[in-house]
Amino acid sequence: MESSSKLGLAEAVVLLTMSSMARIFLTFPRALVEISGPAAWLSSITGMALAILQVYLFYLILKPNPGRNIVDMANEKLGNIAGTAVNIIFASFFIAEAALFTRTFSEALIISALPSTPISVLMTGYITMAILGAYIGLEALARSARVTYPFVLFGIALLLLGLIPKWDFQQVFPILGNGPVNVFIKGGHLAGAVTEILLAAVIVKSFHGPEMFFKITSRALLMGFAFLTVLLFVMVITFGWNTAQENTLPFYRLATLIYLGRFFQRVESVFIIIWGFIGMIKVALTLYAAALTLAGTLRLPDHRPLLWPLAVIIYTCSILPHDMPTAVRLESVLIRGVSWLPAVALPLIILIVSRVRKRSGPDESG
Amino acid sequence: MKNLFKQVKQILTYQGTPFREGFILEENAFDNREAAASGKESQSQGKDGKEKSAEPGRRRARPLRKARSEGSRETGDADTGKVSTILDRNRETIEKLYGLPVNKDIIVRDFTIGTDPPVKSFLVYIDGMISRTDLNFLLQNLMLEAGEISRHIASAPSILHRLLPGSQARMLDSFEKIVEFVNYGDTALFIQGSPQALVIETKGWEHRPVERPNSEQTIYGPQEAFIENLRANTALVRKIIRSEKLYTEMLSVGKRYYSDVAVMYMSDLANPELVKEVKRRISSINVDYVTDTGMLEQFIEDSPYNLNPQTHYTERPDRVAAFLAEGKVAILLSGSPFALVVPTTMYAQLHTGEETYLRWQYGTFLRYIRTISFYLALLLPGLYLAAVLYHQEMLPTDLLLAIAGNRERVPFPTVVEILLMEFSFELVREAGLRIPGIIGSTIGIVGALLLGQAAVQANLASPVVIILVAVTGLASFSIPSYSLAFAVRTYRFFYIIMGSILGFYGITIVLFIQIIFTTSLKSFGVPYLSPTGPRTYAGGDVVSRLPIFMQRRRPDYINPQDNTRAPGNPRGWVRDKGEGGGDGKQQ
Repeated sequence: MESSSKLGLAEAVVLLTMSSMARIFLTFPRALVEISGPAAWLSSITGMALAILQVYLFYLILKPNPGRNIVDMANEKLGNIAGTAVNIIFASFFIAEAALFTRTFSEALIISALPSTPISVLMTGYITMAILGAYIGLEALARSARVTYPFVLFGIALLLLGLIPKWDFQQVFPILGNGPVNVFIKGGHLAGAVTEILLAAVIVKSFHGPEMFFKITSRALLMGFAFLTVLLFVMVITFGWNTAQENTLPFYRLATLIYLGRFFQRVESVFIIIWGFIGMIKVALTLYAAALTLAGTLRLPDHRPLLWPLAVIIYTCSILPHDMPTAVRLESVLIRGVSWLPAVALPLIILIVSRVRKRSGPDESG
Repeated sequence: MKNLFKQVKQILTYQGTPFREGFILEENAFDNREAAASGKESQSQGKDGKEKSAEPGRRRARPLRKARSEGSRETGDADTGKVSTILDRNRETIEKLYGLPVNKDIIVRDFTIGTDPPVKSFLVYIDGMISRTDLNFLLQNLMLEAGEISRHIASAPSILHRLLPGSQARMLDSFEKIVEFVNYGDTALFIQGSPQALVIETKGWEHRPVERPNSEQTIYGPQEAFIENLRANTALVRKIIRSEKLYTEMLSVGKRYYSDVAVMYMSDLANPELVKEVKRRISSINVDYVTDTGMLEQFIEDSPYNLNPQTHYTERPDRVAAFLAEGKVAILLSGSPFALVVPTTMYAQLHTGEETYLRWQYGTFLRYIRTISFYLALLLPGLYLAAVLYHQEMLPTDLLLAIAGNRERVPFPTVVEILLMEFSFELVREAGLRIPGIIGSTIGIVGALLLGQAAVQANLASPVVIILVAVTGLASFSIPSYSLAFAVRTYRFFYIIMGSILGFYGITIVLFIQIIFTTSLKSFGVPYLSPTGPRTYAGGDVVSRLPIFMQRRRPDYINPQDNTRAPGNPRGWVRDKGEGGGDGKQQ
């Protein structure tokens, strides 16, 4: 496994931020507005708090065991059979996520820019880039993210500021949207289901120690959620919550609205480069994490031979849904719905088992 | 009449094919020799089994043991490769080594040293490699001024000490070493009865004088460029860095004939591991010859299959000096007017050095212009194609109508139009470079103008495309590194192709590939996109050029021995409020 390449703080944070940003370009913000109404941005903040708690949970597992990632911990603490089962759930989760992201990103491209292009062509592009990225390694992916981050930041800022003429702050009321239950519990739960925490726990060997895990992941989540919050806020004050929940790709719709004189308008195509790039980083990173998890489970020295078969599986899975609504529904059921299993339940089990064993350990020896 | 009959006979009768070809390079001639040699080798290996000799026909220029041992059976002392006390034996050895009298470059000049009584001796040198003035002066000293030395002390040491006023002279007893020096323009003096030969420095071949840089022209700053003479080049650098800490280590590359390589670095700045790695890579090169730093570069770079250049190629001594002062290592090769500097980054390849000489605002302005032109050179045609073919909505309607109106009469698809014009531009560029002298540049400009104008009139290309290709071309010329400009030009074609196939998505794919290949690239262990990817201390001299007095530290990514460039305030006369403000006021 590739543990020799160490990521710096900035690279790792930006890599995870970009990965967690991927969902804001897709249908996710719409789903959040549907639940929380004009207070979707508050749901995002609640989700952030939940996510930070998850980070802490993983940190508790990883902290006493430097040099080991969540895969090693599962193997070690739960035993061979249960550990392997847990790790296979982790890997399947990554595979499912990569497959659905590939599909929804490709569908989004068809909707926004390339209506006549067969989806298989676009998906092939994503998967090929994912193989390339995951093959070359985490270090190059992180550096690529770091190098492109200013452009992404500039692009998003341009988009949001370009909409200033269309902002209407009245749209943000009622401030608690569809009610506290919807906003804080349902919406928070949906927004807080972030896969990057598990991903960071898999690639933790590339950080400089488990202390950095907390630092890196929490910062990345803060940044990722900041983007989401700002986007949701701008979305609501630009469209109004009622219209906002009708847009399949709100980010794209926002971009089409920009009109700053006759020359500077309809710049959504430029954003295709940004979200295409982020999509590639996301899929490549998830593929990398899936391969690393499987390699760890099967105790293989290198993850790279697994990339090709995993990519074929991801491609096949991603082409299975009939259409975009099916893919989106699958995503909300699979990724957001079941994500508490790999993100909270299984790590909690690992933590409890490791604590219990630790306590019982000295007794046995004594 | 008889002749006529002969001709008629020749016409009427069968003559056979006359053998006209005077020379055929027989393939078998070499093959047989090779087979024989390998047979012989396998036999000899069977005996001692120890030494694996080099491939047949491949002989290191320096070690002449094999050649010598063949001839030395007759010459006695030379069997050991040492100079004999008998002059005639030495002469025989030299004749055998150099293949005299066939080899006409080698001059053996017999003469008598004017001692009392006279001593026979001879000089060996290569015609054209030596300075005649030096040689005449040497002969004059030996023949005319030697009267004071009596015969019994007319040995190499006494001549060295008393008769050779020239700069460098050394006493050697090994033919291998002697030949090495003679090959590089020195003169060897063999003396009857002396078991050593004197090698006197008489290098004096023709070379260019130091001229203005050709490929890295600047308005400000020194206007000197390297030449083909290694020693002159090292001196050009040393002239700028007048420090005893500037080390020049000499290595050699090439197995058949070798070239000297000078590795220059600041001993108190350059990371010792870097210096060690540079020397390790250079000394491990196993090839028959290397004549230019461009060849050397390809042997020592980290990733030969990556498009980006991984060493910095420069012809300016001042740039080399600036890099050395950062802690980098310079590699110079005899016969090459370019130096290689390692490690390098993409940002360094986009700098010219002139920005540092200019005031920081102007320097920064230049850098920004160059940054924009870098992106234009890379992306403009690809983005145009993507926008025109797939994303028309992003173009303002008036512009779109103008483009459509211009394209109306062009029969080709846009991608063919662009490729055609790009190809023509490359053609003009290449031809302009190859056509000699002043005609070249004239043809370049005239050709481009005529070609563009005619292409529009013939409806082969639309004016927008001509402008686009011209701007792209200009932008690619503004990239200071010739190698990087090539890389950009090559990538551009991928952008054109993918932009025409998949629009902006295609552009994104190539962008992803290029970025991931570039970020994974390293030049001598330093990430290629340092200091931005990975992020390290930048030093205010990457894309923007901050005021020179703010650049107080050296770039972090080189890991120099000393990071500090200026320990305190570089502008000593500007005092901080706390310290001696009164003095400042008084002044």
